Amino acid sequence: MAKKSNIYKPKINMRELKRQRVLIFWSILFVIYGFIFYYLPVGGWIMAFQNYKPRKGFLHSDFVGLAKFKFLFEDATFLRVIRNTLAMGVLNLVTTFIMAIVFAILLNEVKNVLFKKGVQTISYLPHFLSWIIVTAILHDALSSTGIVNEVLLKFGFIDKSIEFFSHKEYFWWIVAFANVWKETGWNTIVYLSAITAIDTTLYEAASVDGAGRWAKIWNITLPGIRPTIIVLLLMNIGNVLNAGFEVQYLLGNDVIKSVSDTIDIYVLKWGISQNDYSLGSAAGIFKSFVSIVLIVIANAIAKRTTDERLY
Amino acid sequence: MKIKRLVALLAAATLTAGMVSGCGSEKKEKTTEAGTTATANNADGEDSTGSNASAQGEYSDDEIVDFTAFFAVPGSEINDGNEIQEIIAKKTGVRVKETWLAGQTESEAVGTIIAGGEYPDFINASDSMSALYDAGALIAWDDYIDKYPNIKNYYGEDWEKFRREDGHIYWMNPFWHILNEDSTTTHNDEAFWIQVRVLEWANYPKIETMDEYFDLLRDYAKANPTMEDGTQIIPYTILCEDWRYFCLENAPEFLDGYPNDGSVIVDPKTETVIDYNTTPTAKKYFQKLNEEYKAGIVDPQSFTQTYDEYIAKLSTGAVLGMIDQWWDFAFTVNDVFKQQGLDEKGCNYVPLGLTIEKGMENQWHTEGGTLNNSSGIAITVDCKDVDKAFQFIDTLLSEEMQVLRFWGVEGVDYNVDENGVFYRTEEMRNKAADTTYKADHMCTYSYFPSYSHGTLSDGKNAVIPGDQTSEFYESLAEPVKKCFEAYGVKTYPQLIGSTDKHGIWFPMYSYSNNMTTETPGGMAWQKMGETKHEWLPQVVMADDFEAKWTEYMDAYSKCKPEDFIAEMQEELERRIEAYSK
Repeated sequence: MAKKSNIYKPKINMRELKRQRVLIFWSILFVIYGFIFYYLPVGGWIMAFQNYKPRKGFLHSDFVGLAKFKFLFEDATFLRVIRNTLAMGVLNLVTTFIMAIVFAILLNEVKNVLFKKGVQTISYLPHFLSWIIVTAILHDALSSTGIVNEVLLKFGFIDKSIEFFSHKEYFWWIVAFANVWKETGWNTIVYLSAITAIDTTLYEAASVDGAGRWAKIWNITLPGIRPTIIVLLLMNIGNVLNAGFEVQYLLGNDVIKSVSDTIDIYVLKWGISQNDYSLGSAAGIFKSFVSIVLIVIANAIAKRTTDERLY
Repeated sequence: MKIKRLVALLAAATLTAGMVSGCGSEKKEKTTEAGTTATANNADGEDSTGSNASAQGEYSDDEIVDFTAFFAVPGSEINDGNEIQEIIAKKTGVRVKETWLAGQTESEAVGTIIAGGEYPDFINASDSMSALYDAGALIAWDDYIDKYPNIKNYYGEDWEKFRREDGHIYWMNPFWHILNEDSTTTHNDEAFWIQVRVLEWANYPKIETMDEYFDLLRDYAKANPTMEDGTQIIPYTILCEDWRYFCLENAPEFLDGYPNDGSVIVDPKTETVIDYNTTPTAKKYFQKLNEEYKAGIVDPQSFTQTYDEYIAKLSTGAVLGMIDQWWDFAFTVNDVFKQQGLDEKGCNYVPLGLTIEKGMENQWHTEGGTLNNSSGIAITVDCKDVDKAFQFIDTLLSEEMQVLRFWGVEGVDYNVDENGVFYRTEEMRNKAADTTYKADHMCTYSYFPSYSHGTLSDGKNAVIPGDQTSEFYESLAEPVKKCFEAYGVKTYPQLIGSTDKHGIWFPMYSYSNNMTTETPGGMAWQKMGETKHEWLPQVVMADDFEAKWTEYMDAYSKCKPEDFIAEMQEELERRIEAYSK
């Protein structure tokens, strides 16, 4: 993030290498680690270009070129799962992102330390629940005899209980809500720490100038955490296609399949259930490819409009 | 100097990488050589069988081998140290730890096992057997069958039907055979089920069509909107989770009077395959469900409930009727009814053989065994002792073991009267319905081969308690007895009134179950399944049935069902040709 001109650039020669030997040794360990666990498995991508059969192995499976990709893009289901993944990814991103910032700022304004700590602890606890528990709670709460329907019925908003999980229009919002509920508290931690790093004299000076709470939030807090916001946003954009697997897998059913299935579920269905590792890999490759493109674009935009960027 | 070290490190890294990929290829070799492994085992197995056969005594604890088994169906695990399991272990020298499907679909579970590459000793992958076969995970049975008379006799000539494309046999369906004389008392098949109290309330009317069935449910629910404890009555529910959506989708074949070929109808006159999804009967059936859904008779939770939720719902006794297979609900639900005393209130289900028009013959019930060669128990390449595994299956098929597995221990689970006829006291019957007792005491090894029906060689006793005529009638709840009396029948099959005339090709589902997406027909079958899963619930819930039905038919025809039908027709002709010799 610093300007290039300030970086100390030694010449690479034997003396320099010797001086840095400990550093080089340790970083090579990580390179090896990365190579084995991140790059080696990528060799499996070869499957996407073969008609891979476990019995025949990599060496003897038939090479089919781009046939698997062709099948993917002719499959209406695949196009639909891309849509679902993108829609849910964007929805999750926007809602959790905004909620986290808003919540962090609100918490920061609370002056009673005990109350603030209490709320913060409670709010990030759901992060530690596994999705299976969260979805079970949701499933119960939103069932036709669940608390949500009961409340709506009692207060006369509806006259017949709603089957939330048999209507396509609710599903994306349910998933977004689940994500917000589970992750908001946890995501605020980063913003809160960024806020504490803001120089308090700025606030004091602003008070002297007669700035109210809103003015301080708008002119000091938000600009103060802008670098954090942008870096996190960039990283999250790369993650948009990781819109989730567990939630959709656990909450989805046949009726709403067409809006609930994500790319990950598609990969599971073809790769594992149908034993078509090739098609599963092809879909996986596509997903990685789109993620890389997204992050490059986002980074370029960030570079152009602000000083902040990932690399 | 330092550069050298760097190079050395890099070399080390490549070596490690090489080792990792090396491990991978070794594993492959093992699986590809499945056939050779099997023959190698066979060679040294020959003398060991001889010695085992002569050893009639009991095995001591350290001689007992522990095997593992995975069954890709839901089931309940029994407790460690289960009493009958220990008796069987002492007699056979084998103890099997059985695990069942939980929280996954069958194909995911099996796919995960294949991807992991570590197999249990025994496996029954249900409809995913061909995946295991493709992965080279199974041992060929060919050289073993002749060595084990009980296994050999189980299918006899029909073993030929189990041969796969490569000419070998890899699995054995455990449910087919009937020992000696058929004495089936239950309708272990699909039907429209109805609680006996509904029939009793209406004074045992003759119910032949869906209209009559739903009218009865509606009238009863109107007159009795709640259970005694205040639970709301659910007139009709539909289970449609994963593969169990047959409870929704395949009724049209039965309503037209055909037997359960599962994926298609076969017209016996013309010997042609018919798609039951598009028949006028199918439309009528779904239209009826649609009407009843709108009228509030069909449970609105039908399409989102899981299997567990469905079973829990049935267990409350509040559901008046549904379509299902007996084996899919009855064992669990009937036990709960007995424990809760709901059986005496008439909550037990009896089958009705409905047809689309009045006065048609129905074929809901399948007589004799159904040979389903698409799945069964298999022994994997990872099995510790293949000969022991086969010997275990062989011994399990002996009459002694059959009695131990399904009747239990004499004097504890059943008594023998002076004529040699087995019977149970009321207390024994209650214990047999108690889940805790079952987990501690009973060990049926239910997915290992057994005789599902028939009589022991003494000619007096049935192979399972439920088929013992006296035992069967005694164990029925009072309301069911009254219902049987009112209709003048003695067993469930008589009540549903089926005439079973299935052809030699039956059942066609044993072919479609193992189709893969490799062929156009298999791809069509896969897509048809997806489309039906998605659309049928919508069709039933639609405000405008006609419009939704047209949309559904549109989506359905895009799956190219004709490819599937063509392949089924080919298989039908192959079977007629091969089996009628």
